[in-house]
Amino acid sequence: MKRLPLEGIRIADLTMMWAGPYATRILAEMGAEVIKIESPRAWDNIRTLIPQPGVDEPWNSSYYFNDYNRDKKSLTLDLAHPLGRETFLQLVPHCDVVIENYRADVLDNLRLGYGVLREARPDIILVSMAGYGKTGPERRHVGFGPIIEQMSGLASMTGYGDDGVPFKTGISYGDPVAGKAAAAAVALALVQRRRTGRGCFIDLAQREVLSSLIGEAFAAASLRGETPVHRGNRDPRAFAQGVYRCAGDEQWLAITLRTREEWERAAALLGIDPALPGGPSDHDVIDARLAEALAGRDPQEAFELLARAGIPAGRVLDTVAIHDDPHLAARRFWVQLPHPRMHPWKQPRTAWRLREADPWPRRHAPLFGEHNSEILRGLLGLDDDRIEELRREGVIGDAPVNPGVG
Amino acid sequence: MEAPTADPLPLESVRVLEIGGGISAAFAARWLAGFGADVVRIDPEPEMLTPDEAVYLLPGKRRVRGASAGDLLTLARAADIIIDDGPPGALAARGLDPARLRAGRPELVIVSITPYGQDGPYAPFPATNITAFAMGGIMSLTGMHQREPLVTGGSQALYLGGLDAAGAAITAYLGALLHGEGDWVDISLQESMAGMLELYGPRGAYEGAVSIRSGNHVRAVWGLYPCADGYAGVCALERQVPALFALLGDPELEEPRFRDPLERPNHDDELQAKLYAWFGERTKAELLELGVRHRVPIGAVVTPLELLENPSLRERGFFDAVETPAGTALVPGRPFLGLPWRPGRLSEPVPAADILAAWSTRP
Repeated sequence: MKRLPLEGIRIADLTMMWAGPYATRILAEMGAEVIKIESPRAWDNIRTLIPQPGVDEPWNSSYYFNDYNRDKKSLTLDLAHPLGRETFLQLVPHCDVVIENYRADVLDNLRLGYGVLREARPDIILVSMAGYGKTGPERRHVGFGPIIEQMSGLASMTGYGDDGVPFKTGISYGDPVAGKAAAAAVALALVQRRRTGRGCFIDLAQREVLSSLIGEAFAAASLRGETPVHRGNRDPRAFAQGVYRCAGDEQWLAITLRTREEWERAAALLGIDPALPGGPSDHDVIDARLAEALAGRDPQEAFELLARAGIPAGRVLDTVAIHDDPHLAARRFWVQLPHPRMHPWKQPRTAWRLREADPWPRRHAPLFGEHNSEILRGLLGLDDDRIEELRREGVIGDAPVNPGVG
Repeated sequence: MEAPTADPLPLESVRVLEIGGGISAAFAARWLAGFGADVVRIDPEPEMLTPDEAVYLLPGKRRVRGASAGDLLTLARAADIIIDDGPPGALAARGLDPARLRAGRPELVIVSITPYGQDGPYAPFPATNITAFAMGGIMSLTGMHQREPLVTGGSQALYLGGLDAAGAAITAYLGALLHGEGDWVDISLQESMAGMLELYGPRGAYEGAVSIRSGNHVRAVWGLYPCADGYAGVCALERQVPALFALLGDPELEEPRFRDPLERPNHDDELQAKLYAWFGERTKAELLELGVRHRVPIGAVVTPLELLENPSLRERGFFDAVETPAGTALVPGRPFLGLPWRPGRLSEPVPAADILAAWSTRP
């Protein structure tokens, strides 16, 4: 079987919540061994962010946590405890990469900055992914979730257009975007290490990565002083474009008619009048006719009718329908992994579909501290007395201390 | 910062062929070019990028126009990485069948970016940014419940495909360095988004419950509000809620109906009203300052024009200056610090022969 690109790479993963764990989920699927490190006192809050009443060990039974942490190993270590810090520095020489998404000052406060890590392993790669980076006057701002989207410029570009209101994307959009970029940064740093023999310190600001996804708006701003115009779902490059309600509960279809000819073809397919008055109201007329024609139609049938005719259309797939999409099923995009505390559910594979190596999620997210013994005894060679001491001191544990609502 | 300064560019002498002409391939190759790769872009005719997109995405690349099929094949055979965003089958139709190219050169990396991937029933379907965004699931969560779902600004679906393509290209190239074999990477815009649905994706899969778009307020403490000079937002985790309430200074917030995280959703409208009033009296700058001082995650909606003057971005050297006929543009440069980056210049297209000579031998 063909080897995965990151086979043989070991990553010490200090990340929590979403942006960092999203990066290391990709890296794990690409073949890296990812050791997720949490303190029994300061564990990944995402475990209990969505309270699940009546569940045993809620910290092990969260679909949110488990979806983004599969294929990883779990090691507990309280880095704020001298023994925890010492044990971590024993682990670093066995790792190629350390990755963290703490607030900008936290790693240095733990006395685990790049200089310290490099003493433990000279060619270590450290990836930090604070909201605004490790330097600059905004480095102490608490930045996550939609905050990053607002501060990146993107939120200013999203809106219906008739009310002047900017909109947030419906997910914490900056997180996975930063995660994808951080995974790329790890790979690039490994390329560099292969060429030079040296590691590096990657200072990734989540806000900057997201700004990189709207580069043309910065060109418009710097060349002509432009500020974003909200266009709702329209696009001035298209002949017409919009989102139209179909039959069913909250079922919608997005359509782009790139040319007048596509409009006429769509009109013929949907049995509507293609004649337009001519003038600025044409788009409104098209919207009204499409809305009327689609209101009673099944969204999947309408989507396929238009798409098969070469007209760009797409269902606004909701969070249940997307798991039933026949195309994603044919692509084997969703996988179900057995889990000791939960019934299986459809989890997404990485979008980095290497057709030959065929990366595949292998194992459910680890239980809290599940790999303590494997790593402390097996990898670091600690003896029973030492491990017992770590346990006694609360440096390691099998359950979070005082788990409440995230 | 202790990043070494004498290091070479990480992708120096790596040859990248960009084909297809869209935002996705151009964005992926833009990052590779910035990190040192020798990127040759086969210009589409007519050009698919707007002038502003070209100013952002084309610096640092050599552009070729009017390449023959034979020229293309020669370039493809000399490339280390090929990035393509044409429809499935387009590469093969131009004489560049990925499987055949790979069979001859196992270390070659090919990254194809398409709306739905290379196979499956939708593979032949056309798409635009908005239809791809819709099929990826994020759009169902974006916009007001009372109105139609809303596409996020810019060309996010296309950029996400490019972002995934860049990461996958570098990773597969690393695989070729480490293990001797590249790969053909099949990026689907739909999959790029379907795997990033936050808690709503797994909730839909695990509980079978649809999450409906909630506008600018997932909850009162997780939302966007009008303020004195624009819009600002707060995203407080449970542990940050006490600090937020202390900032508001309203004694009613001490009551259990607001304090108890399980009770609070039943009084969300009331809490939202308080936040509307509080935000409305303050400017963006005041709110950001309060946020950092009291460790409450507060943000403000800023435009790209405002960000050009942002002191953090300035100090960190985020922008690349690009000379254009209309003046100097400032566009996002290196995506992260720590590895050398090279801002590029815009250049005019050249005949394929110019590149063929340079790529005919290894440096």
